[in-house]
Amino acid sequence: MKKIFAALAVGASLALVSPAAWAHAFLDHASPAVGSSVPAAPTAVTLWFTQDLEPAFSTVTVTDKAGQRVDLDNAQVPPGQPAELQIGLKKLPRGTYTVRWRVVSVDTHNTEGHFTFDVRGG
Amino acid sequence: MNATDAFIVVARTLHFAACVSLTGVFAFECLVAGRTLRANDAELNDAFAPRRRLSVVAWASLALALVSGAAWLAAVAANMSGEPLGALKSSTIAIVLTETRVGKDWLLRLALVVLLGACLIAWKRRARWSAAVGWVAFGLSALLLVTLAWAGHGAADEGINGNIHLAADLLHLLAAGIWLGALVPFALMMTAVQYVGDQGAVGIARAATRRFSAIAVTSVGVLLASGIVNTLYLTGNVPALLGTPYGQLLLLKIALFVAMLSVAAINRVKLTAQLDAGARAWQAIPRLRRNALIESAIGLGVLAIVGQLGILPPGLHTEPVWPLPFRIDPNALPTGDKILSAVLVVGVCACATLVIVAIAGRRKWLLGASVVGLIPCVAFAAPPLRRAIEPAFPTTFFASPVSYGAPAVARGAAIYAQNCAVCHGADGRGDGPAAAGLPIKPADLTEPHLFAHNVGDLYWWIGHGIGGVMPGFEGKLTPRDRWNVIQFIRAHAAGVLAKSVGPKVTSAAAPQVLDFAFEIHGAQDTLSQTLQNGPVLLILYVRPVPDARLRQLAAEQRRLAAGGLTVIAVGPTKIRNSPSGGAKLPYVVGVSVDVAEALALFRSAGDGGETELMLDRNGDIRARWTASGPRSLAPPNVLVADAQRAARFAVAAPNHAGHGG
Ligand code: HEC
Ligand SMILES: [Cu+2]
Repeated sequence: MKKIFAALAVGASLALVSPAAWAHAFLDHASPAVGSSVPAAPTAVTLWFTQDLEPAFSTVTVTDKAGQRVDLDNAQVPPGQPAELQIGLKKLPRGTYTVRWRVVSVDTHNTEGHFTFDVRGG
Repeated sequence: MNATDAFIVVARTLHFAACVSLTGVFAFECLVAGRTLRANDAELNDAFAPRRRLSVVAWASLALALVSGAAWLAAVAANMSGEPLGALKSSTIAIVLTETRVGKDWLLRLALVVLLGACLIAWKRRARWSAAVGWVAFGLSALLLVTLAWAGHGAADEGINGNIHLAADLLHLLAAGIWLGALVPFALMMTAVQYVGDQGAVGIARAATRRFSAIAVTSVGVLLASGIVNTLYLTGNVPALLGTPYGQLLLLKIALFVAMLSVAAINRVKLTAQLDAGARAWQAIPRLRRNALIESAIGLGVLAIVGQLGILPPGLHTEPVWPLPFRIDPNALPTGDKILSAVLVVGVCACATLVIVAIAGRRKWLLGASVVGLIPCVAFAAPPLRRAIEPAFPTTFFASPVSYGAPAVARGAAIYAQNCAVCHGADGRGDGPAAAGLPIKPADLTEPHLFAHNVGDLYWWIGHGIGGVMPGFEGKLTPRDRWNVIQFIRAHAAGVLAKSVGPKVTSAAAPQVLDFAFEIHGAQDTLSQTLQNGPVLLILYVRPVPDARLRQLAAEQRRLAAGGLTVIAVGPTKIRNSPSGGAKLPYVVGVSVDVAEALALFRSAGDGGETELMLDRNGDIRARWTASGPRSLAPPNVLVADAQRAARFAVAAPNHAGHGG
């Protein structure tokens, strides 16, 4: 028994003890793509995240150069697509638009970020 | 750490401690006290009154679990909503409780707490049922504890791996609860034994200690095994262990655990023996109690670390700052040496273990034998390991925050031309105009050797210079631009290497094409996104447009798609998707000027105007054809066969450097 105990003590030094894994929801990709330039005005922005989201605390806004909201304020996590966030857009003239998001993943951690896209044609 | 975070750490620590204590009380009652006491007479049983003492601990733990749980939930709600903790609205808490996954978990936990309260009342009132109630309460408290595995634990890995990892977490918590949580009840029992103070009490103390130590050994075994399983999920992550706050805390946790084990070992080896030794038994009892309390105190320290770990991002999302001036790179060794040194390292560990076992067990002959074994193992392992030692820098294990894509490469190309080409040459071969005047020839940045270095090493050199000859650019280039230039020299070297890839699919180390965005039929897509569906044939061409080839492939479009192959053709940008007359060419995608320039690195001047690259799912170039010379283009049926070969190459682990946002 003594030996077993001593062996365990040595083994312990090799063991890493249960780190609770941590997972944020990061932006995986988006449509329109991050930093892209699209020929025709999109009617919605869709964001795909690396983790399932909490709809109650996940938001996204789209603004134009002047900082005016150009989205329809109807951000939603589509049913059956728990890692997606979508928002409808007004009719966009050509120009540069900023997408800002703040999301909470189901493991309660929040992340935020922003990116821009260009609309080339009206 | 902000105030909310500090609050969460304290709440988590107390909550873990409360749940561990609850589990331990009932584990002690069911597995130790209930059994040893029933075997003895009623008088002693009353004198111990362990259930009265235990139920005080249980009530206190339950109350603490409730309060700390509520505090924790409030802090989580504040973090989720972004409201400051002090100004948290009750409606926010309501939303968290009813609409989020974590809220549902907490409602379940609240129900468990209420049921445990009911058990505690029944436990006291109905002595006849106390054994049954004890087991029910043990089950409930264990549930309350193990469901913490989900707190702050995302779907980190899914599928079978996720299940194994989760099972290890559950067992880990349960074993911690049974062992750590039962220490205080054990100490209480020793107090009672001392208070009664007769020979019968010593007998009970002896029986209880035996049982408890059997449970402790089992729990420690489970803690180790589950800890090791978790280690396996971290393999290859030594830098994260040594170089991030998360890893360092984990090491501290292990150190505390080892300290607890040492105290436990003294209990087991010395004091348990004393209990059998008649007169000296009385000295052992207060020591056993003292040691159990010391272990509990260290255990509380472990829980405080657990509380802290939950709010720290683990290694993955913080760059590890490597603390040592060297690292051991087994890949630098030939296979034979690698195996030999692995075997010897295992031998060294085994002998070292034996040395400790021998010292603990006071076996002189074993000590001698294991030292004799240790010496040749170390002697033979040292030379190959010395060869595997490479210099390392604080940034050695940094991942690039800018991804290997066209925007970084385009920006990097400009930086290279301005800052590096004087020495390394416009073509990267180390023959720039300033090269002749240098004491050391600038490195040829087009050699495969470039890929032998970690990007973190390149980052350090570009920031701090090399050997006093190459200057450091820390003050001149922003960190982001240093990464951009690294992505450029890697793309440039990959492009040079690509030129020696032949028309047969090879498993040799293959250069990787950079990621890029393109537009097809008005929609946006990227190469990396497309590669998720399978291999890609990337066609790079210049004017005149290889009309005939594109139409030949288009005619076979069904067959190629059925074979899992996607074709992407990139030409000079001005062509876009509608060349002369608006007749759309098949497969041709629109790209920005940056992308066109970056991709040009993967063509050669003598390719007859067209290069075709077969990319596996990592974007590695597995085969290459050009429109000129002997390596002319492959017919569609060959492409399909090659695509199937290329599809067999495993997808490399995801690279977290590529996250957007
Ligand atoms: C003054 C001339 C000079 C300039 C300017 C210069 N280098 Fe160097 N570089 C060198 C020399 C010389 C070496 C070889 C040093 C040695 O081997 O000790 C070298 C080595 C390197 C290496 C190491 C390659 C290896 O495999 O070991 C990298 C990477 C590198 N340079 C990148 C760059 C980049 C990127 C820039 C521009 C930001 C740059 N260098 C600018 C002279 C220069
Ligand atoms: Cu080198």
